[in-house]
Amino acid sequence: MSSLSSHDSKPKHDLKIHSDAVVCHESKLRGDITIGTHTVVHPRATIIAEAGPIVIGDYNIIEEQSFIINRLSPDADHSKQVVMEIGNNNVFEVGCVFESPKMGDQNVLEVKSHVGPNVEVTNGCIIGTGCKLRGTEVLPENTVVYGRDCARRIALDRPPTQGLQVDFLSKVLVNYHHLKKPRSANT
Amino acid sequence: MSYLSKSDIVKYACTCGQLKSITNMYFCRHCLKLRCGYCVCHEVDSHYCSNCLEILPSAEARLKKNRCQTCFDCPNCLNTLAVRGTTVSVRDPDDPSKVNSQKKYYHACFFCRWTTRDAGLPDQAVQTVSANGWTHKETNSSNVQRVTVLLERARLLGTLERHEREQREKKFTPRSRRTFTHLPGVTSAHVRKRAGLPPELPAPSTIKDTLAEFQPAVAKESVNPLPEEIFTKAVNLFEITTMPQRLAQPEIQPVFCVDLLPAYKHLSTKRSQRCRECEHNVSKPELNPSSTKFKIQQAAYFHVPEVRLVTAGALIGGKDTEVVLLFSNPSQHPTTLSFISLREAEEEEGNKQTEDTSDLADQQGEAASSLSSLTKPAVVLEEPRPISIKVTGNVELPSPDAEITLPPKDDAAEYDYSGETHKSHNDPKWVMHRRANKAAVSFTVTPETGFTGKRCVIGFVLRYTYINRIPSPGSFDQKPQEVRLDTRLFVDCGKICSK
Ligand SMILES: [Zn+2]
Ligand SMILES: [Zn+2]
Ligand SMILES: [Zn+2]
Ligand SMILES: [Zn+2]
Repeated sequence: MSSLSSHDSKPKHDLKIHSDAVVCHESKLRGDITIGTHTVVHPRATIIAEAGPIVIGDYNIIEEQSFIINRLSPDADHSKQVVMEIGNNNVFEVGCVFESPKMGDQNVLEVKSHVGPNVEVTNGCIIGTGCKLRGTEVLPENTVVYGRDCARRIALDRPPTQGLQVDFLSKVLVNYHHLKKPRSANT
Repeated sequence: MSYLSKSDIVKYACTCGQLKSITNMYFCRHCLKLRCGYCVCHEVDSHYCSNCLEILPSAEARLKKNRCQTCFDCPNCLNTLAVRGTTVSVRDPDDPSKVNSQKKYYHACFFCRWTTRDAGLPDQAVQTVSANGWTHKETNSSNVQRVTVLLERARLLGTLERHEREQREKKFTPRSRRTFTHLPGVTSAHVRKRAGLPPELPAPSTIKDTLAEFQPAVAKESVNPLPEEIFTKAVNLFEITTMPQRLAQPEIQPVFCVDLLPAYKHLSTKRSQRCRECEHNVSKPELNPSSTKFKIQQAAYFHVPEVRLVTAGALIGGKDTEVVLLFSNPSQHPTTLSFISLREAEEEEGNKQTEDTSDLADQQGEAASSLSSLTKPAVVLEEPRPISIKVTGNVELPSPDAEITLPPKDDAAEYDYSGETHKSHNDPKWVMHRRANKAAVSFTVTPETGFTGKRCVIGFVLRYTYINRIPSPGSFDQKPQEVRLDTRLFVDCGKICSK
């Protein structure tokens, strides 16, 4: 928790990237962010920790133009920090926006989807292409939101994990992009 | 692109009286008239599956209820299902210590992630499933029988209708064909085949007998009582199907999501459009389902000058304002435009009609005799409907003799981005500027008083020259002819303000 105190004085040291993570240099990371092992952050992805730290787990894929923000709402209590926690094996597809402080494991945010700040995403959920969730709710496990009217159903299984894709991206991205240097979370 | 498909600011009056944007109309090069979707004959050319692109003959398609036999629709969101393969490990029955891996297939929807596993259907060993075990549930349902009865009744009604139509047209049958049967070995079935007619239909009396047996649906007063817990138990919407989902499967009409079964995919059709008056095609797609091109595509957009609203000044009831319209020539020939008020055009039309009535009577007599062939359907000519738009603005047009000529469309000019516009010295004052095949024209519009808050609609007749390259039958002159065509235009200039 020592990083929290240094949040204001030395913002550069707040970025903690685990050794096996692949974070492209062209991505935009602001504030106190922890990125877990084997997580891939594509170029042009944006992660902004405004209201408090963002902790991203392992084996996540964060694609181009996706926007993860721990937003500081104007009427919120500024003295209290809100930690955004993102679990493991999640996929953030191109152009999605994620503002919620809580996400479990194995979720998929499809292209241009939007999850508002008061939606808690549990495990195995799929937010379909272009679907926008702005209310206050806790999504049950394995919820699928799809279609123009954001219809919902509960799937039988969680979406498959993207282990192979993570391995592939880890090999390929380094050939074409500079990476942000990993910095251990302990130092 | 949305300009092309959604625009409803400038409307053209079709020959039938419908108001449409130019992108939604055809132009028959034989009658030289505008045709819209309501005044052309739609014909189904082919049935095909949009997923596997297989073409089915129409008789076979009807037999299979217009559904593809190898592709499936998602019962949950009605999109197409895709086949997915997985490897499952199965314990060897002979040697329990060994584990064999096996390839298994199931169907999944990429949109809502519904899978055949949700319906409790077992994975298949082969990739192409023919719904072997899937549809057996539905045959148990009483709805299937009812649907079959209804389909049969519709078929019989169709047969009866065809019978009546043939009876009506029989008086036109050439005597020669009717008397063929006296030849040895020639049956009436042969004659029908030679004439390109479907085989002899069952007698209408027997059809009527069968139809009489049909039992229409009866409204019942007593229905099963609602279950006890309907008022006490909370409804779980995740478990109950929606109306579109039920209606997509009339045979089973499932109430619960677990009962949803994959349905055979609906076939798509390729349709051609035919002018009602001269029976020439105005649009005909290529037969190949994977092709999006057309063999014939006579869209009005390629022939009739296009009009766009550029600017309109403040629209206040009773006050003059300037409205600028842009005219562009889409054809490969120069065109000359002039403008006539709606009233003048009506008067002209009236004069012409009184002259033509005598000619028309002669023509119709001829037409009746040439129509005697049974294979050719009678031409349906309808009186154009009155225009259903209220003109709420007066437009001051240049005199009917004043003309402007637009050069032909030059494809290379489309790539000229200089944005240079010029004003020709020969042009009258009301031509604002020109560029390539386009010209902007200024009109003075006076919105009528008492329509504050309503749309200001102006109307006029655009007269344009058109090069007719199709020689009219009977004339020896094969050279392209220049003709003058009129089209009524209605432009929505905007909302009339009070101040
Ligand atoms: Zn029409
Ligand atoms: Zn098919
Ligand atoms: Zn679906
Ligand atoms: Zn025609």
